[in-house]
Amino acid sequence: MSENKIRVLMSKPGIDGHWRGGIVVSRALRDAGMELIFGGFQNVQQIAEAAIQEDVDVIGLSIHSGAHFAYTRQLIDILKEKGVFENILIVVGGVIPAQDFDKLKEMGVGKVFGPGSMTSDIVSYINSHTKK
Amino acid sequence: MYDKNFLEKVKKEKENWEQLNKNAKEREVKFETDSGIPIKNLYTPLDVKGDYLEKINFPGQFPYTRGVYPNMYRGRLWTMRLFSGHGTPEETNKRWKYLYENGETGFSAAVDALTFNGIDPTNRDGAPEVGTSGVPLYCIDSLFALTEDIPIDKVSVALVVEPFTSAPVCAMYFNMAKMRGYDISKLIGTTQNDILTMTVGYIPYKNCPPNHLLRLACDLIEWTVPMKNVPLWHPINFTGYNYREGGIDAVQELGFVFASAISHIDNIIARGWKIDDFVNRLAFHLAAHKDFFEEIAKYRAARRIWATLMKDRYNAQDAKSHQFRFHVQTAGSSLTAQLPMINIVRTAIQGLEANIGGCQSLHTNSYDEAICLPSEAAALVALRTQQVIADETRIANTIDPLAGSYYVEWLTDEIEEKVWNYMAKIEKVGSIDKALSSGWLYKEMRDAFHKRRTKIENGEEIMIGVNKYKVPYDTCTDVFRTNPESIQIELDRIKKLKERRDNAKLEKILDELRKVCEKEINVMPVIMEATKEGATIQEICDIYREIYGIWEPPLAI
Repeated sequence: MSENKIRVLMSKPGIDGHWRGGIVVSRALRDAGMELIFGGFQNVQQIAEAAIQEDVDVIGLSIHSGAHFAYTRQLIDILKEKGVFENILIVVGGVIPAQDFDKLKEMGVGKVFGPGSMTSDIVSYINSHTKK
Repeated sequence: MYDKNFLEKVKKEKENWEQLNKNAKEREVKFETDSGIPIKNLYTPLDVKGDYLEKINFPGQFPYTRGVYPNMYRGRLWTMRLFSGHGTPEETNKRWKYLYENGETGFSAAVDALTFNGIDPTNRDGAPEVGTSGVPLYCIDSLFALTEDIPIDKVSVALVVEPFTSAPVCAMYFNMAKMRGYDISKLIGTTQNDILTMTVGYIPYKNCPPNHLLRLACDLIEWTVPMKNVPLWHPINFTGYNYREGGIDAVQELGFVFASAISHIDNIIARGWKIDDFVNRLAFHLAAHKDFFEEIAKYRAARRIWATLMKDRYNAQDAKSHQFRFHVQTAGSSLTAQLPMINIVRTAIQGLEANIGGCQSLHTNSYDEAICLPSEAAALVALRTQQVIADETRIANTIDPLAGSYYVEWLTDEIEEKVWNYMAKIEKVGSIDKALSSGWLYKEMRDAFHKRRTKIENGEEIMIGVNKYKVPYDTCTDVFRTNPESIQIELDRIKKLKERRDNAKLEKILDELRKVCEKEINVMPVIMEATKEGATIQEICDIYREIYGIWEPPLAI
């Protein structure tokens, strides 16, 4: 029943090349039966376009550059402008201080997974929080 | 190493001892090293094989197992070099001076993601990252600001840039030094220039294909050392640390760096140089990870492997060509955001490994590493940690203090054998650029990521605070924030530079660079000219992109 699978776009906004986190989580989501689209480096415009084109349920942002506020805000603005924000769950992971989690959630992120997060927790969060 | 009769006696007594203690219970854990080598409950003279003079010998003598210098830390302590950079060159300069005033003895420039990838903030894809993960170094003016009032003729500087940007950034640095009146033939320092860092350690954003990266790395080696423009410089630092952080083990770490070194050496030799013309300036940068004794054995094995490789494979004659000199960084991936203060303990233990293992230079991580770029307070603790090891523990009183330990000597042999085997495996894949473009190295990394992750998630690899004695994220640590004005400051810097420079003259030099790139001859002379005339990092790298194309790495999930 592939049409019932949760579809996830995993993206690295910007140009920072720390790729381990995004790959490890991608594999875990795929192993958990989700449809995984690995976007790699994308600017926020490309992320939004890919998310719409691929009709994803979830956008995963892997950010280790310290620029998590800028990229997340920009992406959510575009998703809102395109009228798809309400349908897509946004999950952010990476080296992000716990002090910043609330502000990201206020912007519209579902949950932030910082260093040391367990992939099993990410899988179960996504399974129970997709918006569609 | 021991008399046969003596070993017979030990063997017999050991059997008795085992018989006596056969019912002693053991904990239900796997007794093995981080790389998976099974570890016995006890090591004795029976485990130490081979001849002392051949395999271990004295410090400063082949095969350098005990250290590359005869006096090691009794002569001079290791260089205390903190990897450091944030915001703008001016702010980084301030941090450098602060650490220097507090006893740091070497500098290391952590650059931002734009500098790493050869773009400037006029590229909107990367603009939010100006200064967020390191110092922005986009033009020669940045290098002047970075080193203002810093005695670069006396203190060595490490420029942590990779083959795609090493030529322009080093050229900016060398030009700056010349313009300040220094004789660059006496300049000391290091360029990381490591092809694997920017391909498998970290994925490249719009860089060119690996075969060109390999050649560009070798251009810098050739121009500085055998061509004698900056002969004391270390033009490359094979940085196992960066890929080790991804999850590979100690054996793979050494396998990667040696396979990479072989490919670079072969390239320089193919240009007509002799091994002894350049090889003594090649340097290494290894990790100090969680397994205390395995890491120490790794450093000792690395020295022996390198010496043997240089002598047997390349017939290097100069003793300096046989010496494996290395910088160490404590393991960032071992640190946790949950218990940042415990990171100080982890780092101290890892620093101790590096020093007991005889490193030449050391970076100790800051306790806030898993949260943000180091704050001034955290960086100072990291520096003080090294100073405690150096000045309070007395570990530097004698050379290679663990030599002769039955366990450490046995483990050194084990690691050595496994590394030789792993190197043979990589060589079957081909030169390092082929191991990259074929995707083989990406699969090795991917497998390591998942293996490591699985071990942490099932509790086999313990991280205190994360999967044992779990605690929530620490929210008390001050989060260091980089300067949000950095983008504008750097845009202004480039604007001013472009107004000041002779654009017509620069265009001609850049045209010349295009020709040099097409002909695949050494890019350094013309990049020295171009950066002197004010070429930015992106203007140089765009020519590489134009001529060599952009490479999409074959990532494996």
